Amino acid sequence: MGVAPAARDVTSYGMGLAAPLALFFLVFFVAPLLQLFWLSLHNDTAGLHWGLGQYLHFLTDPFSLGVLGSTLLLGAEVTAVCLVLGFPIAWLYQRVGPKLQTIIILIVLLPLLTSVVVRTFAWIVILGRQGIINATLQSLGIIDTPLKLLYTQFGVVIALAQVQMPLMTLPLITALGRIDPNLDDASCSLGAGSWRTFFRIVLPLSLPGIIAGCTLTYAAAITAFITQSLVGGGQMLFMPMYLYQQASTLQNWPFAAAISIIFLLAVLAVVSVFTTLGRMSRGYGGAG
Amino acid sequence: MIMNRRSLLTTALTLGAMKAFPGLSYAQARPLVFATFTGSWEEAHKAVLVPAFRKANADAAMVLDPMLSVDQIAKVNAAKANPPIDVMLHDPGPALVAIGQDLVEPYPVEKSAYYKDLIAEAQEPTGPAPFFQVVGLTYNPEAVKTPPTSWADLWKPEFKGRVGITNLNSTLGTGWLVEIAKMRGGSEANVDPGFKALEELKPNLAAVAANPGALATLFQQGQIDISPGNFNAIQILKARGVPVEFVAPKEGAIAFKTTIHIVKNSPNRELAFKLIEAALTPEVQTTLMNPPYLIVPTNSKVTMGGEIARVLAKDTAELKKKFVFQDWKKINEQRSAWIERFNREIKI
Repeated sequence: MGVAPAARDVTSYGMGLAAPLALFFLVFFVAPLLQLFWLSLHNDTAGLHWGLGQYLHFLTDPFSLGVLGSTLLLGAEVTAVCLVLGFPIAWLYQRVGPKLQTIIILIVLLPLLTSVVVRTFAWIVILGRQGIINATLQSLGIIDTPLKLLYTQFGVVIALAQVQMPLMTLPLITALGRIDPNLDDASCSLGAGSWRTFFRIVLPLSLPGIIAGCTLTYAAAITAFITQSLVGGGQMLFMPMYLYQQASTLQNWPFAAAISIIFLLAVLAVVSVFTTLGRMSRGYGGAG
Repeated sequence: MIMNRRSLLTTALTLGAMKAFPGLSYAQARPLVFATFTGSWEEAHKAVLVPAFRKANADAAMVLDPMLSVDQIAKVNAAKANPPIDVMLHDPGPALVAIGQDLVEPYPVEKSAYYKDLIAEAQEPTGPAPFFQVVGLTYNPEAVKTPPTSWADLWKPEFKGRVGITNLNSTLGTGWLVEIAKMRGGSEANVDPGFKALEELKPNLAAVAANPGALATLFQQGQIDISPGNFNAIQILKARGVPVEFVAPKEGAIAFKTTIHIVKNSPNRELAFKLIEAALTPEVQTTLMNPPYLIVPTNSKVTMGGEIARVLAKDTAELKKKFVFQDWKKINEQRSAWIERFNREIKI
């Protein structure tokens, strides 16, 4: 008797295994986010009067928009520096022997093994008035008075680029590793120079890695509260500090909530541009 | 009653959980929780206040849970009926917020043995001030040969690009701005002269730190030579060998009351009162006044000594003369507008 159980489709997986994580996200991420959104829809700090006043205040205030703009710009600068410096490392990784590979991966990962606070303090020591850079330039006689490096946009970009570098390099290493090395040789044997090969073959094929790295670096750089405030100081205002000021010092939670929602949407917009580019590049990536 | 496998399992899990987290079922029997500040405050309280309290109260159980004022307020606000904290510690601004949100119990003044000995400024019926924080001028004696004497010295041309300040997020930054405004004819209600003075200070400004702690780093790195600074923070730096000195400016050093409060609806009200009493005793305050803590006492029975007597005041009478207290009720009314204005105007 009995009917043989229907053969299970081996290519489909039950969603059950993802349920604990989904539940975790629902309780500890989605729910607080909804609460934040609810809070941002109030015009007074006590949260009694409904209205869009907080959003209007932010979106009609040139100063607030300026803070948002400079934060998004900061992210773009850091991402660009990371890409330009990270790509050669990833490229090199694919072309050296296993021993050097271990060393490179160690160097890339090393920053992740120390806390962000420690790394940021190291940058204060490097960029300071009597720091390594100024001391070297002065002893070489290149400058007379120390350069102001700490508490400048330049300082923040450099420090953030170092702090977030692994987020760029690791996806790049993976993406470059997936490219068939024969394609390089083929390109060369068909008469293309190294630069042509790089721009027509390697770069397009590594696009998925570039986009993943850019997304990660960008998101991490614009939200890096510690590095921004320690290297940037108290007068360079970026969104995380603006948020902290409103929530913590001024106890203006609805405005802080509105700032977070606007910031979140702005970041999502940038990230979705990245992912759209990623989807468009998938045609290239798949070929590898 | 039907017992199936599932309900049996649920019961077993519940019993297990109650065993594992006894706090679930016996919330009211928890030890006294004192939310002090992090860092040197926590060290001082762990080493001096807690032992004194336990000695006087038959080894009563208590826990230090250090956190920022804003976090204390948020935590108590989230569970007003059964707060997770019994005793709060606050700077003047947050203290008024906590009182305004009805989170603190009035201090039982008539029961207290030490309250009447506190100097008048420290007697607050919502929660007395067991300690003062003092803000004056901090400078690097290796770079600044003649010690500054007045806030006005910060504007001297010789300090071009050498002055550090903090933004208004901190009590220190806001209090200092008010003092500068007062020096130029303003008040807690009118800081316009202060902002004008800041504008004139710009050529001298080397850094606007995000918090007072960052100011210490800037001294260590030689980024700044002079700044408004907290007496205790400077002593810690000095003890670590950083060349810094503190002077009380002739306009008066700014004194902030650090107040200590019994949390409303605390299940440990009696012990909370005892802990605060311990913080007010001359013995505890004397120990905390001595190195390495150097915390300014508020009990008039404490004889000033050491670094505090040398730099700040020899006795309560001199202390009253040399300290300026500010009206934080007035300051809080406009602080958000000032912070916004500072954000916009102070760009160096």
